[in-house]
Amino acid sequence: MINSYLVFLLSGRLFGVKLLGAIEILPWRRSRPVPLSYSFVEGLIDYRGVIYPLFNLGRRLGMSGPGPVAFPAGETTQSIILLEENKAPFGIIVDSVVKMAKLEAPSAVPKKIQGVEMNYIQGIVYEDDQEILILDFERLLHAG
Amino acid sequence: MDEGTRFLLLSLDGENYALPIARLLEITTPRDIRKDPDLTGLFEGKFEFRGKRIPALDIKKLFKLPGAAGTTLLVVKSGKGTLGVLVDAVTEILDTDQRPVPMPTGVINPSLQYYSGILRHKENLVLVLNGDGLLP
Repeated sequence: MINSYLVFLLSGRLFGVKLLGAIEILPWRRSRPVPLSYSFVEGLIDYRGVIYPLFNLGRRLGMSGPGPVAFPAGETTQSIILLEENKAPFGIIVDSVVKMAKLEAPSAVPKKIQGVEMNYIQGIVYEDDQEILILDFERLLHAG
Repeated sequence: MDEGTRFLLLSLDGENYALPIARLLEITTPRDIRKDPDLTGLFEGKFEFRGKRIPALDIKKLFKLPGAAGTTLLVVKSGKGTLGVLVDAVTEILDTDQRPVPMPTGVINPSLQYYSGILRHKENLVLVLNGDGLLP
């Protein structure tokens, strides 16, 4: 089965999210921090009348790659992807959005990948010899 | 309790928070707060208010925010009795017809009841403090 995916880069790896409804891609912006939130929560953003929690995906996946590239103004070159899972809107922070792609549904059972928490990876697809890790948002959002 | 539509806006480490006015008994300057061995390190001590000894919570320490305890003392009605809360500053009274938006799921452990919702104010998001949830 072929599906549409949004492919993005995080800490040097390619990830994909399945495109179900409309999604938004925004330049990085400051979010409202929430004291005592989960460690992978960056904060809240208000976009077009909806409040989105913003997740630091790299931290969630336990990836130890380079952190956000900080500029003097406190801004980064990262992007925010706004998504929805079971009617719950949320955003993730990624290094850059690469492309939209039609990909085979992931069939490979995730193997262990050095430095990535595999609990949140649904599968792996290969395109032009590149490995794309497909994210499992249901788990990402509900595993506390 | 019905918390109405008026909120006191206050700041902690440069960010705005709101407290329903219906919760507020007094805004004052902290003085004569005395250490009390029965209190945890999250409290600066106890102070006298209307003839009673009331604990003063260092909410910045509770929230793991940097800096010393705030220099404005709010006296707040909480579900567990009267409570002093040390904040950096109070900024304004907000009259609004907004109903606070519930905290989205996946942000904070649901057993932590520090916030009762989120308000919008001047392009910013303001966290509404839950008077009943601040005491452990």
